[in-house]
Amino acid sequence: MTSPIKPPEGNWWDQTVNRRESIWLGLGVVWSLVLFGWMSIWTRTGDQNPIGETYQVSESEFREKMNAYEEAAEETEQGLVPEGTDVYMAGIRFAWDGAPVVLEAGTQYDFHLSSYDVQHGFSLRPEATLSKQINLQVLPGYEWVVPMTFDEPGTYHIICNEFCGEGHRSMHDTIIVTEEN
Amino acid sequence: MLGLFDNDYGADGFRKCSVTGLQIHESVEKYVKLFALTAIVALLYGGIFAFTVAMTRWEVVGLLGPGDFYTHLSLHAWNLLIFWMIFMEIAILYVGGPMVLGRKLPLERLAQLGWGTMVAGALLVNYAIWTTSAPDQAPLLTSYAPLPSDPLFYGGAIVFLLGATISALPFFATLWFEKRENPDGTLPLVSFGAFVTGIIAVEAIVGGLVAFGYAFAWRIELIGSIDAALYRQLYWIVGHGSQQINLVAMIVVWYFLTHVVGGAEIVSEKVSRTAFILYLFFINLGAAHHLLSDPAVSTGWRIFNTSYAFYGATFASLIHAFAIPAGIEAGRRKRGLGGGLFGWLTSAPWKNPVFSSTIFSIILFGFLGGITGVLMGQLQLNMTWHNTLATVGHFHATVVLGTTVAFMGLSYFVIRTMFMRAFISPKLASIQPYFYAGAMSIATLMLMYVGILYGVPRRTVEVVENIPGTDFSLAAAAPLFNVFGLFALLAILGGVLFLVIAVGSVLFGRKLEPGDNDDLTPDGGLYADGGDPVHTYEMRGTFVLCLIFLGAFVITYVLNWYLLSQLWQIGA
Ligand code: HEM
Ligand SMILES: [Cu+2]
Repeated sequence: MTSPIKPPEGNWWDQTVNRRESIWLGLGVVWSLVLFGWMSIWTRTGDQNPIGETYQVSESEFREKMNAYEEAAEETEQGLVPEGTDVYMAGIRFAWDGAPVVLEAGTQYDFHLSSYDVQHGFSLRPEATLSKQINLQVLPGYEWVVPMTFDEPGTYHIICNEFCGEGHRSMHDTIIVTEEN
Repeated sequence: MLGLFDNDYGADGFRKCSVTGLQIHESVEKYVKLFALTAIVALLYGGIFAFTVAMTRWEVVGLLGPGDFYTHLSLHAWNLLIFWMIFMEIAILYVGGPMVLGRKLPLERLAQLGWGTMVAGALLVNYAIWTTSAPDQAPLLTSYAPLPSDPLFYGGAIVFLLGATISALPFFATLWFEKRENPDGTLPLVSFGAFVTGIIAVEAIVGGLVAFGYAFAWRIELIGSIDAALYRQLYWIVGHGSQQINLVAMIVVWYFLTHVVGGAEIVSEKVSRTAFILYLFFINLGAAHHLLSDPAVSTGWRIFNTSYAFYGATFASLIHAFAIPAGIEAGRRKRGLGGGLFGWLTSAPWKNPVFSSTIFSIILFGFLGGITGVLMGQLQLNMTWHNTLATVGHFHATVVLGTTVAFMGLSYFVIRTMFMRAFISPKLASIQPYFYAGAMSIATLMLMYVGILYGVPRRTVEVVENIPGTDFSLAAAAPLFNVFGLFALLAILGGVLFLVIAVGSVLFGRKLEPGDNDDLTPDGGLYADGGDPVHTYEMRGTFVLCLIFLGAFVITYVLNWYLLSQLWQIGA
């Protein structure tokens, strides 16, 4: 007789383990290694990784970068068309500085994400397919450079998904992705 | 007081529990009751905000505006996740320590002081949340700096954590005395698990004191600035550490209750104890899974930590996933209760709410909470879960369907065997676990779906029907929200039912005599005579259940990766 509320009797360490339990342990080890292996391999071979260079940056430094970027970019009715492949975007209660922005499908852009004030969430989805969505944390004091290539043209919506104050729900903007040239 | 703390103790202050056979000292029982009752008060109070929060997120009702919503959401989180759970966990430490070991509660004064300090901290946090005014914002659970919270809030959190530490001291002292008197003895599994819970709790609390201390110092301008990334890292030591306490305490409760009301045995002390040791080493690394979509931590750091070092803690949970049902299966087969593949399970005391709560907690935690936790804890999949309602779905599967349901079962057990009260309505008590766990499962699944399939964010009052300033909205998710809203209401009703039965029985239930609890004991008595060693019994049924579980795991894993692979290219 064994009980979780009594000290185990005799040499409990050397008690036989039931065969089915042993098999389950084996399956558990294999599954754990699969989980780890797949996640690691995807960082090398996969197309979706929350990975990019990070730099510490003050609010004023990032504002300067943003100004230089906006000056070089072209203003159009739909939004900013960046000069090169760098795209700057900063959260500020309750808006996205740098948006809306007009990009091309098929080009890899480096998104420079930061915040001027508090934490925000950069949550992005194409209007046509809501189930395709990604969410990245945006922190003041840090500039995160995340590359992205859009494969389908359309309107992509940014919603802030980190609580940033009472107006949080209105913190929305867009990225317009045009056909590949 | 109302006879709540009376029982028939002998001259030495001990009584023998007719259900567990434990020698229970008055001092232990008194504090177990005190902490458990306080927990139930927190559940009652925090539960009110489950209603207001859920009815706000269901935009068809749209109960609250943003100002009130964030206040209510903060109260919901702190009173349920922190106060309901941690008061109950101190009770569990006292059960797992002095009660199981048949000892007095040492340092009784500290238990009293700890309780008082925890109550003071909890009141302070609640006061601070209610009275928050600009520039401070409602803290929610996380109080993410540099969004400022009321200084009293940080203070209250610190006081509460100190109180929890003080309350844990009599537990650690118990083990110290036990080991001194009995240096070669092995602790019972429940005490061992409680000890591991206690250590993990201390680690979490240290992190919490540093995190809230840092934010407090910044808020009262002792230091000029606060680093958002550093705060997040410190905060999650306690934010997630406390979830690991919930997990390990819940598993201790599973071992305890399946044994005393289901006749479960321990199929392998070695394997189950090894699993607790794995928790001790690896489980706190899991805090990193809150930082997977963060800019400021390296890829290697994220992968190593979120995987609990190669899934060491996940493996430990897989061990318990087999060991606990196998314990029931072998224990009941030994008693001759039910043959075939699942006879041991179908013949179990399903009408006993202590038993049914425990089993629902095990199944639902595993299938809904555990699997989703591993999914969203993978570096890349996290991008599709982070800060959406799917995350909220995941943790309601763990802390509500898992821990809260298990703690409800434990509460029923405490009412019957320590308060020695009959349920005011045994019928309703039998139904309650089915009702609550059933309705909440569906509400929880809906949260997951609206999060993953429609990207609906958490922590907001609208966006499904309307995003101010644009025509765009997430209206496609509205039908699932209707399902969510209805089942959330039913779940809340199930919660009310629990409170009515629990509080009603403690206050007005018929007082039981020791012999009146025989119906709780598994058929054949708690300790069936004779039989072969437990590992020689068949565990076929459990094996099949575990294979089904692994199958569900693999399928949802593949589906989630498929969805991710459909996205545009992101990241280096
Ligand atoms: C019938 C029961 C419950 C319902 C219907 C419910 C509903 C909800 C909903 C809809 C949210 C999300 C709000 C949002 O992010 O916009 C939420 C948040 C939360 N709930 Fe519950 N809940 C219930 C019980 C519980 C219990 C028992 C616990 C803890 C043990 C709990 C802990 C939390 C926490 C920690 C949050 C997150 C707060 C934050 O974002 O800071 N809930 N709940
Ligand atoms: Cu926001």
